[in-house]
Amino acid sequence: MLRRIGMNLRKKPFAEITVQCRCATLQGNAEAKHRRSLLFTKEKERQQKNIGRIEKIEVQYVGTPEDVTLMMNKGISTPFNCAQHMSEMLMQRSALALIDDTTLWDMNRPLEADCQLRLLHFRDSDPYHVNKAFWRSCSMLLGALAENVFRENIHVDLHSFPSPTVKTGSFVYDVNIGLDNWQPVQDELRIMSAQMVNLCQKNLKFERLEVNIDLALEMFKDNKYKTEQIPHIASQISDRKTVVLYRVGDHVDLSRGPMVADTSFVGKCTVTAVHKIETNQGILYRFQGVALPKGFLLNHFAYGILEDRARKLNPGRLPGAPSNISDMFQPTSEAMSL
Amino acid sequence: MAGCFKMAGMRWSVVRSFQTFCISPNISESLCCLFQQVRLKHQNYPRLRNPIWFVKKERTKYEEHLTQQNKSFIRDVVHDKYGGPPAIIGGVSTYQQSPLKIQPMDRGSWFLGCRRSGLIARNIGIYPMWLKDGTRVLTTLLQVVDNHVIRYIPPEEFNPPRTSVRNPKSKRRLGCLLVGAESADPQNFTKEYCGLFKDSGVMPTKILGRFLISPEAVMQPGTPLYASHFKVGDYVDVRGKTIYRGFQGVVTRWGFKGGPASHGVTKTHRRPGNIGSGGEKARVWPGQKMPGHMGNRYRILNGLQVLRVNTKYNVIWVKGQGIPGGTNSIVYIYDTFLPLRKPKEAPHFPTYYPEDEEPLPDEIYSENLHPFTAPTIKYEENV
Repeated sequence: MLRRIGMNLRKKPFAEITVQCRCATLQGNAEAKHRRSLLFTKEKERQQKNIGRIEKIEVQYVGTPEDVTLMMNKGISTPFNCAQHMSEMLMQRSALALIDDTTLWDMNRPLEADCQLRLLHFRDSDPYHVNKAFWRSCSMLLGALAENVFRENIHVDLHSFPSPTVKTGSFVYDVNIGLDNWQPVQDELRIMSAQMVNLCQKNLKFERLEVNIDLALEMFKDNKYKTEQIPHIASQISDRKTVVLYRVGDHVDLSRGPMVADTSFVGKCTVTAVHKIETNQGILYRFQGVALPKGFLLNHFAYGILEDRARKLNPGRLPGAPSNISDMFQPTSEAMSL
Repeated sequence: MAGCFKMAGMRWSVVRSFQTFCISPNISESLCCLFQQVRLKHQNYPRLRNPIWFVKKERTKYEEHLTQQNKSFIRDVVHDKYGGPPAIIGGVSTYQQSPLKIQPMDRGSWFLGCRRSGLIARNIGIYPMWLKDGTRVLTTLLQVVDNHVIRYIPPEEFNPPRTSVRNPKSKRRLGCLLVGAESADPQNFTKEYCGLFKDSGVMPTKILGRFLISPEAVMQPGTPLYASHFKVGDYVDVRGKTIYRGFQGVVTRWGFKGGPASHGVTKTHRRPGNIGSGGEKARVWPGQKMPGHMGNRYRILNGLQVLRVNTKYNVIWVKGQGIPGGTNSIVYIYDTFLPLRKPKEAPHFPTYYPEDEEPLPDEIYSENLHPFTAPTIKYEENV
């Protein structure tokens, strides 16, 4: 962009230059998003091509209806493919996979080696991890919503979202909108909720991709917050110098943990509040919402209680603050303590 | 609406009956009953303008799979929000929550000819009571369960599709007071129905009734109405929906005598017999009494005297039996319109407020009524 200005300086008057600069940022949001998605697709295709010769892996499925051993393709087959081999019920209800009783795995993430597979769903006896993944996915969807819902002249910068805690009563995304004092009206919240519902009904899959830091920085170069976060995150995940990205629809975001298989798992959802928070990173807006997984029916009064709770400011970690114990809830089974 | 038309020299005024629509919820008009025989002239007219409270009331109940903990938590939230549990929890308790604080709305004062609100009650049975001179009277017990004012619609905004039968364009402008009875768990109703009760702060009620009142008799939404709204000795009109008897023959429905049981009568024991006369008007007259559906209509019993009031359980004893609807049905109680039975003193206007008055005793008996707790009436026999 700097180069472009330099060139225009010689030919066009000052006013036009400033207009062109502003135009560049006006289209910035949508363009940047599109560009990110393209880069994601390219990288995904490149990684798939790099697999080369297809090797077979033995996947031991443990659970209902019966224990089965499957021969799957290394680096290509996903737990969802395993479910496809077994039954429609498993396809439809499985939101998350558990590998070797230790590692949580996305349903659409390719399997790497021989393993034992368990498929987790929302009506498990202990759905702790599925719930967390659900909350995380909803946070990401909130981010996707925040990017789409504003007018073109407002530049939206997504910051991040804290580690999901279902007990707080709401899922959260911190966004920099650039507005000084914005308090959404009830109607605006309703519009956002409707858009979120629309997004969920598209049944978009959550695609996971591990990319190099350089590519990640290239993808998020327009977002100053993500540019700071990427090196920090990469150092936490072993020495591989990679970051994990997730894509839903055409929205790409950084996230560590597993997500649910796709947006069809989100049932009733509402964007309940937007709180203005002052941090050392500036003035951010905390988008809050609450949702129920699909198939969980609840009367309007009880759901209203959940919405009222989600309107209160979420006590989750503020951007820039030191991280505390992310959640206090302990899972019941010891095998699941991650 | 009364329609008059001339027919070859004769004037026949046919009055449209006081119809009910089976699809409508528990609201009906508070028009006076017609003394004349009601004869259907036209088919049921479609509703032109439905009232604002005509919303889907009951919601489809589905299994929510909530844990016991969650269920009791939601119950606690309902308690906290409305100050108490619903009125009917399988028992007969009422007004468990404290009434609202003093309202800022100005209260009007009673004047001759004004109309105040009525009550929605449940007919809980009949038993006899005795007057002090030994006369046995049958009394009907009407329990006023958890009545609250929900909304008031001033006369300027109120525009019902069917206005008064007698005075279609009456100069007296009446407002509409929505009163609810028998609060219930909000989870059992639809969100739209619960939305009707939002402004009043009252728990959604199972029954929603309307009273046409003078604007001076307006009350703040949320005001509770008690049985003491009516004083002992006053006369009331009670409106209820009659028991549905189905398709009934002419003997049950109109009280025809039928035919003889024996003496060679062939197949004419309960038939109407002749249905017209010959001559110039050789046809069946409109309104000829014939078999048909009987019951399930609103009818009003006028001039019932209030003999006793229980303030603890909000029960009103009215003299008389045969109140439309039978036991456990909902009735609407109004101040009587009979001119010779109107009260001589001003009633509680707009309603009885317990915080303004001295606390009333649990039981209030009429002067000539013998209470069961009093000693037996003794009199000297002339030997």
